[in-house]
Amino acid sequence: MPGKQLLMTFPVTATSHTLADYVGRGGYATLRRVLDAMKSEDVTKEVAASGLLGHGGAAFSAGRKWGVVNLNDHQPHYLCANADEGEPGTFKDRWILENAPHLLLESMLIAAFALQVRNAFVYIRGEFDLPYRRIAAAVEEAYAAGYFGENILGSEFSCDIVIYRGAGSYVCGEASGLLSSLEGKRGYPRNRPPRLTVQGLYKRPTVVNNVETLANVTGIIAGGAEAYRKVGTAKCPGTQLVSISGHIARPGVYEVEYGYSMQQFLFDDCGGMLPGQKLKCIVPGGISTKVLTAAEVAPLTFDHQSFAGAGSSIGSGGMIAIAEGTCMVRLLQVMLRFYHHESCGQCTPCREGMGWLHKIIDRIVAGEGRPDDIDSLYRISRLQDGMTICGMGDAAGYATIGILDKYRDEFEYWITNKRSKLEGNLEGTVHA
Amino acid sequence: MPEIFINGKPVQAEANQTVLQAALANGFYIPYFCWHKELSIAGNCRICTVQVEGRSWVEISCNMPVSEGLHVLTDSDLVRAHRKATMQFITLNHPVDCGICDKAGECTLQDYHFAYNGSPSVSREPKVHATKFHDLSERILLDNERCILCSRCVRFTREISKSNALGIKNRGDVSLVRAADDSPLDADPYSDNVIDICPVGALLSKPFLHKARVWYLKPTPSVCPGCERGCSVNIWHRKAEWHLRALDPKQNTSIARVTPLENPAVNGPWICNKGRDLAQVFERARADRAMQKGKPVELEAAIAAARKLIKEAAHPVALVSNWASDEELSAFKDALGARFTTFVKRDHAPQPGEVIEDDLLIRADKNPNTAGARALFGEASLREPSYPANTDLVLVWGEGCNFATLPAGAKIVFLNSYLAPENGFADVFIPVSIQTERAGHYTNFAGVVSAFERCFAKPATVADAQEVFAQIAPGPAGTP
Repeated sequence: MPGKQLLMTFPVTATSHTLADYVGRGGYATLRRVLDAMKSEDVTKEVAASGLLGHGGAAFSAGRKWGVVNLNDHQPHYLCANADEGEPGTFKDRWILENAPHLLLESMLIAAFALQVRNAFVYIRGEFDLPYRRIAAAVEEAYAAGYFGENILGSEFSCDIVIYRGAGSYVCGEASGLLSSLEGKRGYPRNRPPRLTVQGLYKRPTVVNNVETLANVTGIIAGGAEAYRKVGTAKCPGTQLVSISGHIARPGVYEVEYGYSMQQFLFDDCGGMLPGQKLKCIVPGGISTKVLTAAEVAPLTFDHQSFAGAGSSIGSGGMIAIAEGTCMVRLLQVMLRFYHHESCGQCTPCREGMGWLHKIIDRIVAGEGRPDDIDSLYRISRLQDGMTICGMGDAAGYATIGILDKYRDEFEYWITNKRSKLEGNLEGTVHA
Repeated sequence: MPEIFINGKPVQAEANQTVLQAALANGFYIPYFCWHKELSIAGNCRICTVQVEGRSWVEISCNMPVSEGLHVLTDSDLVRAHRKATMQFITLNHPVDCGICDKAGECTLQDYHFAYNGSPSVSREPKVHATKFHDLSERILLDNERCILCSRCVRFTREISKSNALGIKNRGDVSLVRAADDSPLDADPYSDNVIDICPVGALLSKPFLHKARVWYLKPTPSVCPGCERGCSVNIWHRKAEWHLRALDPKQNTSIARVTPLENPAVNGPWICNKGRDLAQVFERARADRAMQKGKPVELEAAIAAARKLIKEAAHPVALVSNWASDEELSAFKDALGARFTTFVKRDHAPQPGEVIEDDLLIRADKNPNTAGARALFGEASLREPSYPANTDLVLVWGEGCNFATLPAGAKIVFLNSYLAPENGFADVFIPVSIQTERAGHYTNFAGVVSAFERCFAKPATVADAQEVFAQIAPGPAGTP
């Protein structure tokens, strides 16, 4: 196992997701203790002291986000778990929703108590079937056991929860787009300011946290911030669920302690590449992060500082291992098709730019590329950077620039020779 | 009052302003498509970017709150580069068919292209094709290829007219503005305002479609007579220097279109659809011949006959028009007020199917100058006319009078602008000019006085009521 474990601490069985099993593991004891003995402010302080970072991609401090909510502003606050896990390559929240739904619910109750939230929401992506059924069943169990509703566990605290299924839009995974969708509107992201913690759902202060971020709260409150800080690195405490896929021997969801060696993770824990394949590069955390070549990954440790130093990011933990012989032109084509398809169309640079990028890469792949197309891809990507309402324009730009920077030769080859430089290499049928 | 610095110059901003508002209020121009001062901030067009001094990136100014000591640049190299890039994005899938577009000449996109871009498209890719000539409503056509999805029209129907008739469907570069199935735009009496606020040529007026290039037209400030709100409007008609010599000469004296003239005291930047259709009011068949008992006579003869009737009358009653201007009503009062028992007639009543009244602009009294008449003739004059038993003359001025209700035996002097059966029934009929043929003022229900100017010359055989009254007033005793 790649380092210490905070979430994957129990064997997954046929019943491990049920309330009975969860309570058997000590579940909901932390909630009871919080309701009995803690004040709202203290919970937030504890979370802030733990240094818990957002696990959705941006790695923003959860404590700082919570700290913005003014508990004495005499208006409703809302909490929403972002379970719209749509970043390509990412399927880690699914593990929590399927196997530890009560951990998420208990954490949300503690967070709701800390933020004085009466109504909490789980926005779950529409494509999730088993995760939806598991979390919905868990909510029913929790209501029946008195963990939701009026005067929870005999305390003054009341909280209700609604599971809301998205309709399959990538942009609804962006917090403000998610709230627009939750309000029943088009899933358009919103301009900041105002921040969502000032004016979010129904124009009220709203905390939107990733499922995994929230899932860590119970552990932090149970064990204390000090204990949490002992896991991971000083600047980057805790663990992250990594969903690894691609040409890797043992794909799946792993809980990786921050600071763990990437080399060890890829080649020991995940069993290395598929037989006969060599690592070419990884997409570190969802396709919106810049790819890292095998040489770049080799010295890295799994934490935000280390990845940032290499010019990329851990992102959402959606890691894709890519083998030598994979054609990066086609990879970029697939990525840009995705971004083009998922652009919400609200703001100009992304609405127009995604289609533009997609058309250029399609033309290159069709053998009609021109020498200046690479410059066009660069230019359009850079123009989107920081110019869009949400981060999607930036993300697509990073991804494109990341691949172009490192594999420009493959693009030049295709434009000149009207075919892939690596045709058949992956399959072992290399052209002469 | 935070002080901010725009391009280094200190500016006193209001505390709740955005940088865009503060800049526009102080004479700095920042381009914008989606922002509109009456609508919520969408922040989607991304053309209004500015650079905060010391930062290496640009931000949109329409959503940037002012703060004490903020330094912004509206014309730095970075800002210019980003504006140019944004214009490239916006025109990427725009057909640039200005040559056949009604909006050309008054199009924000066209203006900004020359101001901020100027280069041909750098794209070689085929444009995205979308619906053209989509019937958004009975009155409005939508060209989706020209649409830049600024969402102004959508926000207008949500926030101003509250019909919620428009929305955007699909996503990405195939997004389309569409009318909602269950609340059609036809039911929105303010729908045509979306044509004005459309910064491009996507939303087109069907009555105006391909009728005229706007640079051949001239806007004359006027006042909508459709109700007692008295919205300020521009009446667009052909410029004198572009009068047509061939084709139908009527085009030179007809109303091409009506648009709102912004007036914060009355209508803001909006008018209702009725105001757009003033041509239907003013371009009805005109009465252009004076008559006596239905027999055409010269105007002078009719005026002389009217004067004689008035001189001979012992108990004359006048029904004055509340479509008359303040000046005309004063002229009547000065010349004839002492001689006549005066009532104010309501020339127009609501038509079947017309919106009677709402919270935005439309008022129940469908006449423009009831308040002006009330001020001159008193509240009592607005009652149903009660004719003294010995009434021997009724002067009827304007439409809306049922002659059957007039006292039998009384002579009738009738001033009207349009063809009507009553014209021939009157003892003396004098054709008079309409609003677009003269200047004047209306006083609206709230007491706001608005001016309208002359658009066209009146026909030679038609009189101005204002002058008629002095002419038909009997002179001092002894004069004919």
